[in-house]
Amino acid sequence: MIWIAMAVLALTASGIVAASAWKPALVQGPAEDRTLAVLKDQLSEVDRDAERGLLSVAEAHAARQEIKRRVLSVGRVKNTGESSGGGRVILMAAAVFVPLFAAGYYSFAGAPNLSSIAFEDRQAEVAQNREIEALAQKLLQRLQADSEGGALEGWMLLGQTFMKLGRASDAASAYERATQSMNADSAVFSIYAEALIVSEQGIVTPQAKRAIARALELDPTNPAGTFYDAVGLAQAGANEQAYNRLLTRLDEVDGFAPWMETFVAEANRIGAALGRAPISLSDYAPVMSGNSPGPTAADVEAASQMDDVDRDAFIRSMVERLATRLEAEPDDIDGWMRLGRAYRVLGETDLALNAYSRAKELLVPVSSECPSSEHLAHFAA
Amino acid sequence: MTPELGHFVLALALALAIVQSTIPLFGAARGNLLWMRSARSTAFGQVVFVGLAFAALMRAFVVSDFTVLNVANNSHSLKPMIFKVAATWGSHEGSLLLWVFILTIFGAAVAAFGSNLPETLRARTLAMQAWISVGFLSFLLFTSNPFERVFPPPLDGADLNPLLQDIGLAMHPPLLYFGYVGFSIVFSFAAAALIEGRIDTAWARWVRPWTLAAWISLTAGIALGSWWAYYELGWGGWWFWDPVENVSFMPWLLGTALLHSAIVTEKRDAFKSWTILLAILTFSLSLLGTFVVRSGLLTSVHAFAVDPERGLYILGLLAISIGGSLALYAWRAPMMEGGGLFKPISREAGLLLNNLILATATGTVLFGTLYPLFLEAVSGDKISVGPPFFNGAFVPMMLPLVFVMGLGPFLSWKRADLVGVLQRVRFVVVLAVLATLAIWYFAKGGPVLAYLSILIALWLFFASLREWALRVRLFEVPLQESIRRARNLPRAAHGMTLAHAGVAVLMIGMIGSSVWKSEEIAFVEPGTSVNIAGFDVTFEGVQRVRGPNYIADQGTLRVERGGSFVTALKPERRSYPVAQSTTTESAIRSTLAGDLYASITEPSLDKAEESGAWTLRILYEPFVGLLWLGAAMLVIGGSLSLSDRRFRVGAPQSSKARSTKPVAAE
Repeated sequence: MIWIAMAVLALTASGIVAASAWKPALVQGPAEDRTLAVLKDQLSEVDRDAERGLLSVAEAHAARQEIKRRVLSVGRVKNTGESSGGGRVILMAAAVFVPLFAAGYYSFAGAPNLSSIAFEDRQAEVAQNREIEALAQKLLQRLQADSEGGALEGWMLLGQTFMKLGRASDAASAYERATQSMNADSAVFSIYAEALIVSEQGIVTPQAKRAIARALELDPTNPAGTFYDAVGLAQAGANEQAYNRLLTRLDEVDGFAPWMETFVAEANRIGAALGRAPISLSDYAPVMSGNSPGPTAADVEAASQMDDVDRDAFIRSMVERLATRLEAEPDDIDGWMRLGRAYRVLGETDLALNAYSRAKELLVPVSSECPSSEHLAHFAA
Repeated sequence: MTPELGHFVLALALALAIVQSTIPLFGAARGNLLWMRSARSTAFGQVVFVGLAFAALMRAFVVSDFTVLNVANNSHSLKPMIFKVAATWGSHEGSLLLWVFILTIFGAAVAAFGSNLPETLRARTLAMQAWISVGFLSFLLFTSNPFERVFPPPLDGADLNPLLQDIGLAMHPPLLYFGYVGFSIVFSFAAAALIEGRIDTAWARWVRPWTLAAWISLTAGIALGSWWAYYELGWGGWWFWDPVENVSFMPWLLGTALLHSAIVTEKRDAFKSWTILLAILTFSLSLLGTFVVRSGLLTSVHAFAVDPERGLYILGLLAISIGGSLALYAWRAPMMEGGGLFKPISREAGLLLNNLILATATGTVLFGTLYPLFLEAVSGDKISVGPPFFNGAFVPMMLPLVFVMGLGPFLSWKRADLVGVLQRVRFVVVLAVLATLAIWYFAKGGPVLAYLSILIALWLFFASLREWALRVRLFEVPLQESIRRARNLPRAAHGMTLAHAGVAVLMIGMIGSSVWKSEEIAFVEPGTSVNIAGFDVTFEGVQRVRGPNYIADQGTLRVERGGSFVTALKPERRSYPVAQSTTTESAIRSTLAGDLYASITEPSLDKAEESGAWTLRILYEPFVGLLWLGAAMLVIGGSLSLSDRRFRVGAPQSSKARSTKPVAAE
């Protein structure tokens, strides 16, 4: 449907240009005629003004003289040349260029598969959201009424729910209560810090800094703690220190961990300001075994020495290897996500969507991490 | 689907603009009519496609389609419908799309109404217009795509700044843009004329209606913006010399100069090079206005887009368009033939003085606006240049301008008879002096500069009326005859009188409301009375009122004068829960003699809060209504002029002209 509409629009645009090539080449009088029309009108205006007595006889005479001189000078200006009507080929080429240009641009910037969703059509989603809000409110009241300050899990769930609803500062208050529990571990503090930072549009406030310090005190290996510590340092202007902090932590790891991608990205962002060469994930996570999720350092090395065609084929073979493995072990949600991303890069939209939907199917069993309404209802009861 | 179609047609419009920016230029150079005329088709195509894109974006706002990032960031499902529509141009991306839409409207208008133009001039003008189109469309598509999608869509939008949720402000940007962008067509005409190497009286006449149309919109846009600031910001001021205001004022000042210098070019074939330069500079200042606001370089309530990368792109656009056109000017302008000569006392000399003062005033505002930026860039010091500078440097410059404005229309072209003119204005001078003395007697006190300004404003007012009266021979001939003469007068003459008198009215409004303003700020509890400018204002308390997307505390003020009830004012303090912000809705009792203006805010002291006290700000501004009246007179006067038949000298006459032999020289 959308393709038909676009084709019609593109053809219309092309037609607009093409049509101008087929208009009869009426030969228009020279430009001087248009100028003379204006001068003639000026003359009659002088006559009118003189009649009304706005101009004295002498003034009117002088004005007429001047305009007549201009009429004469119009004749002196050389015509710019013969008018012709050829050159249809150029216009036809332009008519072809217009839709091609738009299609070319759109093919890389457009998102044709994304449908438009009016707010009115999302009532179910809105109702569900309202239900979650109501449950969260209930949970909040129950936790506040608890004479022992409320269970740690309850506050954590409430915080996650608020985060999901986009209410970061409410989430931060819930997490703050969680940190007051005896059982609060390093993760609770770093999650609290994260909510504080999100609610302040990414600024690491002193309050967040204290939470980060406590998280690292409880567990110096907590990557989230290190990460936000580095972000805070960078915001305070200590880029060098922040950069080293990230790299040191990356060095400490053997193998691959999902958070390392974020670390590398942040290190490169800070490194750019320091004028450092970008680092890559493969420097820190050389993957060892055969059924590894990503390419090995050797693979990358090999790929960098190929020409474009070979490299494309090589990447496709890697992607196929991943796809085959996933058919055998379909429970790997990260694998499906990676496959989806790879297909997207390769421009295989349908295959990418398929991979993503496979990943989405796997999301259900992990719902304990993303609070669903049943889960909330259970806690709020 | 519609957002994607909107995105796609924008790309088509860019492609059409690219075609239009090149083929007609070659066509004009080689005399190829088909190539030249293709500009007409593509100009219509552009306006259709950009219009479709704009409609697609507006639809996304109307149905609250939050899969469009722009909608998600700038709208909310609970927002009143009219502000959903207005939010289309409330954001950076949307406002630029509106900018381009208006640009293409002007392009299509030249294509449609330009049949009286020579083929080459029209083709080149449309090609120049397309260059600007290419610049802005590529800017939109590559840095500020209004159709950027987001998936999964957020459940609801992030609202729009509630301060900007106001009908005056909703209409402010479109009008301002019509003005800014309107000057683009004048710029394109100037650039086209430079390429043609020919500027004559006919050119000036073709350009004038476009200049006038742009000037009218800009005037209305600035007046609306000022009106918005007056009743929405709650400070009771109508002009703050805020950089965002200044950048719209500069093209207005220079545009006014252009309007007048084009008259000289049309009537006397003089000031040609200067008119071209003004056309280039006016549009450059419009671009600067867009750049300054859009880049967020200057922080103020208006500057809601902050992004240095986009700023750099616009800076590049500015450099190319201004630098390129000035280079073209430097290369081609010296080839222009000199025009008619004139004596020091003549209409031309008066207009020359008008131009000089307006250009100097523009330079002054430009300096005051940009100086803090340069200083910060060079030394890192942050300073602000405020009203004291502008009032000190700008206002005194305006007084001689207004004086000449009153005298100018009496002067005849080429050489004027000064003694005769002075005889005709004797009576006006006496009248202005007497009226000023009367005001001095009633107002008792006030700075000398205020009285001088009033004297000059009254002089302009009476002189404008006198000049009109002379033209229709009012009281010299029977009234019937005068009415017949008035009917015969070209509309442009009525327009000039109305606009010049409008400036006088505007000035009196400005002077009255700033010099004789009274202001009271008080902590009030229910029952407290405040006395201001002869009014007794009693605060009767505050109640909660619910609006569509806000909750307001509405105060009730009982206004009495001499014991008898005058009116009840209900200022509000609104809070918008979604946007988490509050706005002041002032209550105003307007009469021509002055406005009584009240606003309330929560008390800042804890103690006051306990006792239910509020901060009441109450102002009396004499004659402030004359400001809007004067602005309306300017707009109506301009529109009258625009409707003058002389601007419609069109193709029919040209066919007649062909059959007539050129008038022989005497």
